[in-house]
Amino acid sequence: MSTVAVAARPRVGVVKFASCDGCQLTLLDLEDQLLDVVEHFEIVDFPEATSARSAGPYDVLFVEGSVSEPAHLERIVDLRRRSRYLVTIGACATAGGIQALRNWGDHDAFRDAVYAHPEFIHSLARSTPIAEHVTVDAELRGCPIDPGQLMELLTALITGRRPQLPDEAVCMECKRRGVVCVMVSKGLPCLGQVTQTGCGAICPRFGRGCYGCFGPREQANAAGLTRHLQMAGDRPREEIGRLFAGYTAWSEPFRSMVTELGGAGRGPADARPGSTTTTADDPAATGGTP
Amino acid sequence: MVTAIFPQPRGMRSQPEGPGFLARADLQVLMDLLREDQRHLIGPTISDATIIYDEITSVEDLPIGWGDDQAPGRYRLRKRADERLFGHVVGPTAWKKWTFPALVPLTTATRDGHKVGFAPETTVPPKLAFLGVRACDLAALASQDRVLMGGSFVDPDYILRRASVLVVAVQCTTSSSTCFCTSMGTGPEVTSGFDLALTEVEDGVLVDAGSAAGRAIVERLPLRPASSAEQYGAAATVAQVRARIGDPVPMAGLHDRLLAQLDHPRWAQVAERCITCGNCTLACPTCFCTTLTQRTDLAGRTATTDRTWDSCFSPGFAKVAGGSFRSRPRDRYRQWLTHKFATWVDQFGHYGCTGCGRCITWCPVGIDVRDELNAIAPAVPLNPETVLVDPVAATPNEFVGARVIHTKQETADTTTLTLTGADPAFSKGSTGQFAMVALPGFPPLPISISRFLPDGIELTIRGAGPATTAMCALQVNDQVGLRGPLGNNWPLDRAVGRDLVIVTGGIGLAPLRPVLHAIVAGRRRFGDVKLFYGARTPADLLYRDELERWAARDGIEVALTVDRAGPEWTGRVGVVTHLFDQADWDGSNTIAFVCGPERMMQATATTLAGRGVPASRIHVTLERHMECGIGLCGHCQMGKYFVCRDGPVFSIAQLGDTFGREGI
Repeated sequence: MSTVAVAARPRVGVVKFASCDGCQLTLLDLEDQLLDVVEHFEIVDFPEATSARSAGPYDVLFVEGSVSEPAHLERIVDLRRRSRYLVTIGACATAGGIQALRNWGDHDAFRDAVYAHPEFIHSLARSTPIAEHVTVDAELRGCPIDPGQLMELLTALITGRRPQLPDEAVCMECKRRGVVCVMVSKGLPCLGQVTQTGCGAICPRFGRGCYGCFGPREQANAAGLTRHLQMAGDRPREEIGRLFAGYTAWSEPFRSMVTELGGAGRGPADARPGSTTTTADDPAATGGTP
Repeated sequence: MVTAIFPQPRGMRSQPEGPGFLARADLQVLMDLLREDQRHLIGPTISDATIIYDEITSVEDLPIGWGDDQAPGRYRLRKRADERLFGHVVGPTAWKKWTFPALVPLTTATRDGHKVGFAPETTVPPKLAFLGVRACDLAALASQDRVLMGGSFVDPDYILRRASVLVVAVQCTTSSSTCFCTSMGTGPEVTSGFDLALTEVEDGVLVDAGSAAGRAIVERLPLRPASSAEQYGAAATVAQVRARIGDPVPMAGLHDRLLAQLDHPRWAQVAERCITCGNCTLACPTCFCTTLTQRTDLAGRTATTDRTWDSCFSPGFAKVAGGSFRSRPRDRYRQWLTHKFATWVDQFGHYGCTGCGRCITWCPVGIDVRDELNAIAPAVPLNPETVLVDPVAATPNEFVGARVIHTKQETADTTTLTLTGADPAFSKGSTGQFAMVALPGFPPLPISISRFLPDGIELTIRGAGPATTAMCALQVNDQVGLRGPLGNNWPLDRAVGRDLVIVTGGIGLAPLRPVLHAIVAGRRRFGDVKLFYGARTPADLLYRDELERWAARDGIEVALTVDRAGPEWTGRVGVVTHLFDQADWDGSNTIAFVCGPERMMQATATTLAGRGVPASRIHVTLERHMECGIGLCGHCQMGKYFVCRDGPVFSIAQLGDTFGREGI
């Protein structure tokens, strides 16, 4: 991201694509700092907070959600044209989100199984991150994003400095906080080693393994971790595939692991409660309709 | 107070009275004394299914009766059979958590119009007492002392924190599989760098003072002099720990050995396993690398600079505008290992490793730094051709006698003879060498030496013809004539630091048995060792008890197969190459030793070549008719070689296209 300071009171927009709105709400959850933020930023478009609308231009546009419908394709290009800095927020916008698991499955079969009138549904076969469509200036990862990272980005914008969004492993945060490694001490599978930090190691702090909602870090050795889990943990391939088949599954190298090992499920049969898990090479799992 | 304010004259620092005995029931007195003057006591306690260091107040907070099982990438608590307080080894987080914290605010900068100001943050460190510091961690504190306050510039935060710590050391009475303080010269004995040192014994602890502050505490403790039996027992326990740890990483010359291997293929191999997560560096008690981060406010008036632990494994650590100087994970692993075990010495005069083993236990994928060191920079030079001992009774007309002291029937037709009284040269023979063995009336035969003993050798003989049948029938006290040891040897020196694959069948295991003995004696010098062994039937497998031991105890992967199985056989059936031609493995750092019928060796060599093992590292031992054993009689010629004199061990590269060619 550029280090040139923006306008005195930058115009900020918050928009969403396919997402749950939770990341936008992180902005409202800043609470103690919210008045300070509003003092320094002019919020011109933010449907979760105000009915006021703006067509831009925006100094900073926060984009939540993945590109998931045909209409999204034009809209994101249009918004990019009207934004000086475009910042994607959350796993949907930065990685395609949990809805990107359909990218391994049969889109039409899912749609037909879920909706009474599938003909009214206009969705793309794939859910994709914003950066696959337009240039993105900065990413806030996570599901949801971390308020501390959001404040860091805002204060960096005001100062005109590079936001400090570390590209290191979650492990670094565990070690700095004195969190005992759940993989070593409990034998739990944990994606912390291959996942970008920024969350404050929240899952290991509560005794569970990281499930990678911040997405793969730079040069993530997912293949090495997979080999170790296969050999040391004696875990079946698809179980390891399911570890990667989470909120950021569509980001490489997690994507290759899911493709190689399975774990994303392939058809609506997988999505129904009580259905047995199927492996990727099970022909019965593909394209079945109810 | 390691830095004594009033240093005592030499000779006054020792305790002429010797250690005192503090009863277990009085240990709380010590803990209370340590907590005087608002001093916080940090010691071992159980949290998150781990023995960590944290603030404690009473004996009850200690991990009473708990030990820890540590292995590469694995930590589990273990209930002990006793009620020991310090019956465990080091915890996951080093003491640097308090002396060199993960986050330290350094500077607050302000901007007021055109004016800027920078104010250093000042540290008011809490007064601390560390209880239970092991010898390796004392060395770690000393190492960080040297790095952070031993040069011309000192770290102002560190020096204040360090001076506020009272150190109560504990002698190790137990060890973990990950410990290697003995190699690093840091432990297990606590010798210096403490205010008090405890040795846990039955019903209490022995207490030594190592500083004025320590002596002041000792004077207030309800001690009685430790008996000489207690002192001896405590020392003996620590000595047992030393013996149990052994010497996992031979250190002589390591600095030069490691820096000579900057292009070793193992760097790339370990990088495939390494996740570059940085856990090893932050768990390490001596790693001191940090990074600066800025915090600003929205108004842009104040900015705080924090110092946080960083790791040379993170991609951003060596980044500049044009990219990273260590862009590949292998570069980063090499940076770390060479710093710890070589360049740290150049910078600070000692190793950057204390042998505490944290980087091994807390590596999520279980990379063992000892194995990497031994593979990349093995303790012996890579290619010193072993000098073969001069044979005795070299010429075909002379023999020396040897006496059978033990016989063991290995299979229906195969017997192992243990011989003694032969010339000492036989004991100094090398793996793969053979002896010419003679009985009156029979032609002398070349027999591989299947074991080298301090005062003799073993020969494993299959009764295939009259002479060998006569040898198999020998009884204790019978004598044989010997010449040798003859021939060359398996190039075990070239196997150091590599993975070793041994493929053999039937009696072919006999000339390879000394190789396995040598591997077991120095297991850490080699990478993965696999033995693929086939026999006609389960009853034809040689050395069955040893096979079991090699697999169960000695870290050798033993895979067996038979041509024909009986009802009791649950293993593999088929030719020996099938044991490994389907397995998925990379042979680029492998050396192979093969012994068997020529067609089997040829098939094996082809398979190995397909796995990336170069022809120069596939070694076979050839069988030819031998009479003289010294290259004079002409029987064993094979192309340009006499097998007895130039072999019997050859690499496929040496043999070229003569190998496997019919009628050569």
